[in-house]
Amino acid sequence: MEPAIRTDGLRKSYGDVVALDGLTFEVDEGEFFGLLGPNGAGKTTFINVLVGLVRKDGGTAEVFGFDVETEYQEARDRIGLAPQEFNVDRFFPIHEVLEHKAGYHGVPSDEAERRAEEALKTVGIYDKRDTRFDWLSGGMKRRFLLARALVTDPDLLILDEPTAGVDVQLRRDLWGVIERLNAEGTTILLTTHYIEEAERLCDRVAIVDSGRVVEVATPDDLRSRGTDQLYLTLDETLDAVPDIDLDGVVEARVDGDSLVVTAQGGSRLAPSLLRELEYEGYEVTNLDIRRASLEEVFVDMTRTDDEAEQLGAIHQ
Amino acid sequence: MSSTFGVGFRSLLKREILRFVRRPKNTFLPPAITNVLYFAVFGVVLGQRIDDIAGFDYIVFILPGLVVLGAISNAFENSSFSIFHGRWNEYIHETLTSPLSYSSMVLAYILAAALRGLVVGVIIVAIGLLFTPVPLEEPLFLAAFMLVIPTLFAALGVVGGLLAEDFDHLTVMNQFILRPLVFFGAVFYSLDILPPLYRTLSLLNPMVYMVNGVRYGFLGFQEVDPILSLGVLSGLTACVVALDVYLFKRGYGLID
Repeated sequence: MEPAIRTDGLRKSYGDVVALDGLTFEVDEGEFFGLLGPNGAGKTTFINVLVGLVRKDGGTAEVFGFDVETEYQEARDRIGLAPQEFNVDRFFPIHEVLEHKAGYHGVPSDEAERRAEEALKTVGIYDKRDTRFDWLSGGMKRRFLLARALVTDPDLLILDEPTAGVDVQLRRDLWGVIERLNAEGTTILLTTHYIEEAERLCDRVAIVDSGRVVEVATPDDLRSRGTDQLYLTLDETLDAVPDIDLDGVVEARVDGDSLVVTAQGGSRLAPSLLRELEYEGYEVTNLDIRRASLEEVFVDMTRTDDEAEQLGAIHQ
Repeated sequence: MSSTFGVGFRSLLKREILRFVRRPKNTFLPPAITNVLYFAVFGVVLGQRIDDIAGFDYIVFILPGLVVLGAISNAFENSSFSIFHGRWNEYIHETLTSPLSYSSMVLAYILAAALRGLVVGVIIVAIGLLFTPVPLEEPLFLAAFMLVIPTLFAALGVVGGLLAEDFDHLTVMNQFILRPLVFFGAVFYSLDILPPLYRTLSLLNPMVYMVNGVRYGFLGFQEVDPILSLGVLSGLTACVVALDVYLFKRGYGLID
C-alpha cells in the first residue's frame, strides 16, 4: 500500500531564504499526522508543494504514490485542503462555491449540490448557505474552509492551522468532525500551533524546524524524551539537597517544603528514588510526578542556538 | 480523471459565465450606454455632417468598428479581471488545487470571456438597429470574425491577468494599449483618406484587420483581404492560447 504522503529531500528556497531543506518523511494511509514547528519552519510551504501552489526546487513529493508535479491531476484529486488564509470566491453564495469546487473535481452537478448541502450540515452552517463568504463570522469562515475541503470527499485532508483564532467550543466541534473523518478512514495532515491539539488528535507528529524534520514520533514517545519533575514532600524541612546518585536525574533542588527532582522517565525512576531517600534516612510523605508536556519537548527541539545560549546565560 | 472538456471544465466555464451574467449592471449596461452615446453623437449629430464613406452612411460605416471595440474590450476585461481578482484574493487557488488540467482551466477562462465579448457585440448591433438599418452581406465571415476576435482578446486578457500586479495595470492595458489601437484601427475612418505613410503604418496595427473583417461581414466592404485577415488572426489566437497554457503550466503569476 502506498503511503498517503511520501517526500524525499524536498527543497525550496526564496532567494537566500531556505524554506524547505531536504524535508523527508512519510504519512501512512489512514493516519492522523501532525506537523509542528515554529513560524517560518516550512510547514505551509510543504503543504503548498503538495497541492501545487509552490514549485519545489528539488526532491520528490508523492500523494498516494502520485508525483505532485508529473501526476498532478491524480494527486490533487485525492486532496482536500483547508488553508490558513480565507481564499474563498467572493462572488457567489457559499453553497455555490462548494458546488463549483466539487465540479472542478469532476463531481456532476446533482451530486455536487447534495455534497455541498451535506458538507455545510457537517460543519453546522447550513442555514447560511445563501450567504456570501464575506458576511460570515470568523468562526463560520473557519467552518466553511473545512466544508470546502470536505466537499470533494478527499482521501487526504490537509488542515493548515484549522482552529487558529476560534473559540474553545468551536475548536472542540471541529475536532469532533475531524476525528470522525479520520475514524472513517480519511488520512489527516494537521499543522497547528496548539500543542494540546496535536497531543489529543495525532497518531504521530513530525517536528519541523528550518525546513527539516527534526523528529517524527508519537506524542507519547516524544513526551518520554522530555524531563519529568518529581515533587517529593518529606517529613522534615530540608536545609540542603540530599545526595541522589541515580541515572537519569538531571537536577535536584529544594522548593519550600518539597524536594524537586528533574529526571528523564520520572515514573520509572520514582521507586529507586524513594528507596534511595529512605536509605539516607528521609521519609517521603507525598509524591507528585509532573510529566513533560509535548510543548516543552517541542520548545527544546526547536530552540535556536542563540536562544539556548541566552537561556544558559540567564540560568548562570 | 476528467477530460479537457469534462465535468471540471464545464464547472469552471459555468462559474465564469455566471460571474458576468449575474452582474449586468457591471458587465452589459456600461457598453450599452457607451454605444448609445457613440451612435447618437458620432452617428447622428456628427454623422449627418459627414459625407458617405465608400457609399455608406457614416453611422453604418462606424458600426462594425464599434462592435469590435466593445467585443474586444469586454473579452479582455473579463478574463484579465477574473484571473487577476482571483489572484489578488487568492481564490484562484480553488481552481489551481483542483485536478483540472491546465489546458481545461485556460480554455474555460477564455471561452467564458469570449462569450461575454460576443454578447456585448450583439448588444451593440441591437443598439445600432435603433438608429439605422444594419446590412448583413457576409454572415459567415461575420460569424467567423466574431468568434476569432473575442477569443483572441480573451486569450490576451489571460496574459494580462497573469502579468498585472495591481488593478491599475489592468486599466493601463485597456485604456492605454487597446483603446488607442482600436481608435487608430480605422473604426471611425477609411484607410483611403489617410496619407500613404499613415496608411502603411496603419497596416501594422492588428486592429485594422479585425475592423476590416467585421466590416466586410456587415457591409461587404473591404480594404484588406478578409481571408488573409481571418487566417492571420486565427493563427495569432492559437499562439496566444498556447502561451496561456504554457504560463499556467509554469505557474507564472499563480504560484511561488
